[in-house]
Amino acid sequence: MQDLLFATLAIYVLGMISAIVLRRAAGRAAVAVFAALGSSMGAAAGVSVLVSGREVPLAPALSALHPQVQLQADPLGAVFLVLIGLVAVPAALYGFGYSKSYEGRYSLAALGVVLNALLLFLTLTVTATSPILFLFAWEGMTLAGFAAVLTEHDRQPTIRAATWYVAISHVGFLALVVMFLVLSGGDLSASFADIRTNAESLSPVALGAAFLLALAGFGAKAGIVPLHVWLPMAHPVAPSHISALLSGVVVKVAIYGFMRISLDLAGAGPAWWGGVALGIGAVSAIGGVLYALMQQDLKRLLAFSTVENVGIMLIAAGAAIVFRSYGLDELAILSIVACLYHALAHGVFKALLFLGAGSVLHATGSRDMEMFGGLSKRMPWTSAFFLLGAVAAAALPPLSGFASEWMVFQALLGGARIADPEGGAVMSVAAGALALAGGLAAACFVRAFGITFLGLPRSEESEVAHESPRSMRAGMGLLALGCIALGLLPSVIVPLLARAATGVEGRGAAVPSMQLGLALATPSGLSSFSPFALATMLLVAAAAIGLSIRMLQGPFRTRLSVTWGCGRFGQTSRMQYTATAFAEPLRRVFASVYRPLEDVSVDYHPDSKYFVYRITYASDLRQSFAAYFYHPLLLAVRIVAMRVRRLQSGSVHAYLLYVSLTVLLVLLVARVWH
Amino acid sequence: MDSLFSQLTALGSSLALVCSFMLLWRRSLDSFASAFTIQSIVVSAVTAVVGYFGNDSDLYYVAGLFLLLKAVLIPYVLRRTRRRIGALREDTPYVNTATSLLIGGLLVLLSYVVTRPLVVLSDLPTRSGIPLAMGIVFIGLFVIISRKKALTQIIGFLVLENGIALLAILGTYGIPLIVELGVFLDVLMGFWVMQVFLYQIDQTFDSIDVEQLNMLTEVTIRPADRVSGGGGA
Repeated sequence: MQDLLFATLAIYVLGMISAIVLRRAAGRAAVAVFAALGSSMGAAAGVSVLVSGREVPLAPALSALHPQVQLQADPLGAVFLVLIGLVAVPAALYGFGYSKSYEGRYSLAALGVVLNALLLFLTLTVTATSPILFLFAWEGMTLAGFAAVLTEHDRQPTIRAATWYVAISHVGFLALVVMFLVLSGGDLSASFADIRTNAESLSPVALGAAFLLALAGFGAKAGIVPLHVWLPMAHPVAPSHISALLSGVVVKVAIYGFMRISLDLAGAGPAWWGGVALGIGAVSAIGGVLYALMQQDLKRLLAFSTVENVGIMLIAAGAAIVFRSYGLDELAILSIVACLYHALAHGVFKALLFLGAGSVLHATGSRDMEMFGGLSKRMPWTSAFFLLGAVAAAALPPLSGFASEWMVFQALLGGARIADPEGGAVMSVAAGALALAGGLAAACFVRAFGITFLGLPRSEESEVAHESPRSMRAGMGLLALGCIALGLLPSVIVPLLARAATGVEGRGAAVPSMQLGLALATPSGLSSFSPFALATMLLVAAAAIGLSIRMLQGPFRTRLSVTWGCGRFGQTSRMQYTATAFAEPLRRVFASVYRPLEDVSVDYHPDSKYFVYRITYASDLRQSFAAYFYHPLLLAVRIVAMRVRRLQSGSVHAYLLYVSLTVLLVLLVARVWH
Repeated sequence: MDSLFSQLTALGSSLALVCSFMLLWRRSLDSFASAFTIQSIVVSAVTAVVGYFGNDSDLYYVAGLFLLLKAVLIPYVLRRTRRRIGALREDTPYVNTATSLLIGGLLVLLSYVVTRPLVVLSDLPTRSGIPLAMGIVFIGLFVIISRKKALTQIIGFLVLENGIALLAILGTYGIPLIVELGVFLDVLMGFWVMQVFLYQIDQTFDSIDVEQLNMLTEVTIRPADRVSGGGGA
């Protein structure tokens, strides 16, 4: 068990080597096998830690190599080890088939190395036990992600996306370094245990600063508003199985870091920490889904939806901090469990959706939804899997998204138990925000699925689209099973996650009052739900509706006709709802948020206005964050940089003068201080 | 006995400092080279004195090597270079002679200020020379900054290095021989590289006026590089 993790790391290294050594199909297969094997062994280690509920030092062989390298899985980290396995195994499998289309165009060796390196650093990040190790793994993860995003390096949007990604990530990294310096009292090689004791002696101001730095640093990686701009650019341009890992896992590891700091290392924080996290989470959830609704690029839509789901996780984590500060430990544990559950659930369904979008991209060569349509006939498997993922993402029962969001709601509704009116009010506002986000997400995924897979093909490429190869379908199938399992089995998984939550709480083995059994009851005592009963009811209802229709109408007659033909002849694909049109009502409702730029121009016949040649309609969303936040920021940086540039006169004497003056100044300062 | 020791080292340090002041009031490169040679001889002598009174025979080797390198080899190369480039004068330094001397004096004062804690704490017989050695370092730096000809700057660097060597000997009775050898090698290599560069600069620009190197900087600074904005929300 202890050496399982060492084996995992070694296997990833083997995967990297094989990517370089082996060519073509053999190379792709070796990369996929090693990545899947390594991540499933990591997940096995994670499961055994969760079942035993104890902290387990891992990979003693590495510690023997250097005493600073101490890896350890506690229940919290173990949850994320499991998540890595859940997503990486199907993604690796899928990647075997998917990366075939990269052969000859881009370096498969680089792609294979990057995949295994990303998994390696992810594993290290969630098992690190000291800031220095954590930061090293974190930076490795960032750079691996950077290389992954840059796979299709000859395209302008890719380069732009990668630049934004690496810039914002490094600002975040800086925040994390400062945060760890504050928490550890300046010693980055202290262990997390030392930091826990050190944090108790820190002033509330220092702890608050550390919390905000952690929020900014991890938020930059997780894609919280307003640090999210890179995410919808970078995640779509990566190869789809890497996109699945980036959105499904890497973002979650940032949530892990945030929970590790704000709920564990920094001790019990005041309520305002939770309030800040809740607020930012709510803004991210609503903002993310609002922008997701308006996207035409399918993968970009999914990336914005990731921003939404990160917001939901942040809401849950924030609620946990608030509850703990009011001493409502049961609700705090429920919130943490909900956050972790949503991390797992989102990891699985978002990976599934990205793989589905990848299959569509693979078949049609496009990510533009306005080019799709009618794919459900041509790609039945992909279509079914994507539908399943979309239902889970829309948080409909009985799939994974419902189970996790239900728990988040239960936790927030438990806010009524907070004696303080402010606390209760914040919770209910957050619950409202979550409900709004959930409704919009449902609309968003109806649109994503409907426009892509239903109706008539809108382009040649969609017309001749083909189903994906078996390995890609297998990858999606595994994730679909994951969605169903997470939806049906929360009563088995929740107690395991509660171990992670109690570990974080540092309260020993307090028993959470979530009962085992088929039904799941929450400590807020408001409600309980049984996924199996719900699923059975849904199936029975569906069957009943089908049967009753059949009984009312008599036996079905099969009649071949044009989809959505409505009896008209000469139906063309241009007559159907477009992605833009579908989103139009919401664009009008939320016009104050989107501030759409619209341009309508009509060409008339010169003699009469009643004869219209052509109507051109162009619409674009104002890039609010880019326009109001990043552009001024960049401009300010540029102005400062120009000022500073005057120092760079090019004169050797000036440079020498700077050096000498610095030396003199240092000497004088040292003299005055002593 | 001790007092003779400290008097000798103080005398040597003062002489070395005076030599570095020569760089400030003389103009011709020849006189710079001879000032450097004299200074090197003096520092070498101080090393030998410390070796004698401190009973450290290693320092004799250091002194010998020092003499060989800095009083024979480097001056020889300097003179050869000067012959190749022609008789040049440092006619228009950034700072004129009077001001240079004034600043030199201030720098020596400053070195007394910054080495004060060291001198107060130390009970070495050589301690009175420490501020003077520091002064040599500062003046070497000042020469590099304020003079335009690359050859003068090289000599400034060599003088600075002499100051550091003197400081090491006075402050610690000499660092281990192996380190000393490493430093010598460093200085020699650095000097060699500079010579090569100097020759190349002279060949390329027809001048060893460092001011001319300003032309190598990016001249155009475009203020209106477009801010390329975020595609996201």
